[in-house]
Amino acid sequence: MLAYTFKRLLAGVVTVWFIATATFIAMHSVPGDPLMNDKAVTAEIRANLEKKYGLDKSGPEQYLIFMSNMLRGDFGISFTQQNRKVNDIIRDHFPVSATLGLLAVFFAAIGGIVWGALTAIYRNRLPDIIIMFLVILGISVPSFVFAALGQLSLVKINQLLGSSVIPVAGWGTFGHMLVPSLVLGLGTMALLTRLMRSSMLEVVNEDYIKTAKAKGLSPIRIFFKHQLRNAILPVLTVLGPQIAAITTGGFVVELVFAIPGLGRYFVQAVQQLDYTVIMGTTVFYGAFLVFMVILVDIIYGFVDPRVRLQ
Amino acid sequence: MTDSILEVTDLSVEFATYGGRVKAVRGVSFDVKAGETLAIVGESGCGKSVTVQSLMGIIPMPPGEITGGVAKLNGKDILGLTSKEANEFRGVKIGMIFQDPMTSLNPTMTIGDQIAETLMVHRGMGKKDAFDRAVELLDKTKISEAAKRAKQYPFEFSGGMLQRAMIAQSLACNPSLLIADEPTTALDVTIQAQILELMSELQRTENMSIILITHDLAVVARMADRVAVMYAGQIVESGTVDEIFYESAHPYTLGLRAAMPSNKTTREKKLTPILGSPPDLFHPPTGCGYFARCPYAMKSCEKMLPPECLLTAESNHQSRCWLQHPDAPEVQELFQPARTQEEAPDAG
Repeated sequence: MLAYTFKRLLAGVVTVWFIATATFIAMHSVPGDPLMNDKAVTAEIRANLEKKYGLDKSGPEQYLIFMSNMLRGDFGISFTQQNRKVNDIIRDHFPVSATLGLLAVFFAAIGGIVWGALTAIYRNRLPDIIIMFLVILGISVPSFVFAALGQLSLVKINQLLGSSVIPVAGWGTFGHMLVPSLVLGLGTMALLTRLMRSSMLEVVNEDYIKTAKAKGLSPIRIFFKHQLRNAILPVLTVLGPQIAAITTGGFVVELVFAIPGLGRYFVQAVQQLDYTVIMGTTVFYGAFLVFMVILVDIIYGFVDPRVRLQ
Repeated sequence: MTDSILEVTDLSVEFATYGGRVKAVRGVSFDVKAGETLAIVGESGCGKSVTVQSLMGIIPMPPGEITGGVAKLNGKDILGLTSKEANEFRGVKIGMIFQDPMTSLNPTMTIGDQIAETLMVHRGMGKKDAFDRAVELLDKTKISEAAKRAKQYPFEFSGGMLQRAMIAQSLACNPSLLIADEPTTALDVTIQAQILELMSELQRTENMSIILITHDLAVVARMADRVAVMYAGQIVESGTVDEIFYESAHPYTLGLRAAMPSNKTTREKKLTPILGSPPDLFHPPTGCGYFARCPYAMKSCEKMLPPECLLTAESNHQSRCWLQHPDAPEVQELFQPARTQEEAPDAG
């Protein structure tokens, strides 16, 4: 198990290095550079700026400098936000995105497993049909629609109650997090519900469920001890990438709810070709994604004994 | 007949499918006496598994439906019970093992825990005691290092060992009847012999009855006291193992025997298959189910279902064939005690 974890972590490091290199090359292939802006800049000032940021050096040199700084955990300073360190940007805003994202994943996982199990129990009957209809909505409607609808209903609720019980936008308390995280997790919840449903229906027909019945176990015991645990396995597998996708892909929801997350900086940096912020956030997100996938794989090993020894 | 522990009378099971209703079991009656082994033989799809699984209440319902019949376990009806009522005998009085041990155990639970579970549910034992007992049971089914093995998961066991573990699990509550649904089909021949040996040994020490479902006549000859031959959802012949093998009274039994490999099978003496295929059970025939494939079929066989008749007064040998009618023509290979001995008097 330890060797397995170590091997996975090593592979993860290689993956992150690959992400960093690919991003570096892609970023420098894009026409334009971060020093181009509306104001006319004289050649002299431009030369000074290039010198300050190291842009006067050749590509390979820049790459080596970037890599050695990254290994020391330093992503440099932003081009567009005066003298602000990329590390500070990540430190200030990532916890917000992560909190929102993990809460969203939590809702999505609980919801997906519960709804999926319910649809399987009520297969082809009314509850199943209703839930599966909502699932199609959840998968096909984009998150900004849900975000707007969520905000609108918050306004209505607050009007009805006569006071601002749940804040409509902003960040800070649990009330701020509730609706945005639900909205953010909705798509994943729908996806997991479908997965859980098909997984449950598959497990019901397994021979060991027949054995459990022949042993004289109660339906409730069979459901919890034999069916659920085996049905959750495929759901767990997709959870790792989903955690990363939600945590990093929340900028639309963050924007609508005016949440100071990292997503906004990520998008802005690409638009402004803010080299250091692009590299910093991409590598950080990449590492986060890789780590989450490994973490879920390790958890998977605890749930499914067959994975442990391999 | 007082010592029968299980009596099944006229059991019928149907399945509702998109193509219509499949009449999988059509009026099956048999009984199992204390301490004996009853083998139910027949080809795939003849209803032997459905028969025993509906007794246990483990066929999926719907689409399955028990449309008629009575099954009495020690005099108490066991058909059509709720799962709570059924759980008073399932795993307690009747243990069951299945065809494919590789898929019949929960892959995410240790073997010991799965056996202990039965004891905890039915005997109210604590976790520790139940697990210790599970180790004893594994030991009894000749699994070496049982204490270590009990902590392992099914994927760490071989097929034969899993079937031993299944047997250990089914014996947990000392059942009076073990239903073995093709227990050796998925195992290779040497392991088959070991499992059968283990089953007969445990039958003696635990004093239980066995219903053995199989399509392997060699297994029947080795294990069974009595045999019921099933075809197209009905029992076509039943009797002691000697009666079935040496005094076969139904052409289907003859056909099965001819299709059985023997030591004499050589290039000259080939196996004789039964030609054709079983009838469509969506629309079962009104007459004898074997009519279309029977080499001795008569006109009356097509429309009229032969009754189950007792062949001799002293034995319990039954057959469902018109050739057992007193006026039927003589068939040399067939055991026909009821046939009038005079050579067709009205013909001369």
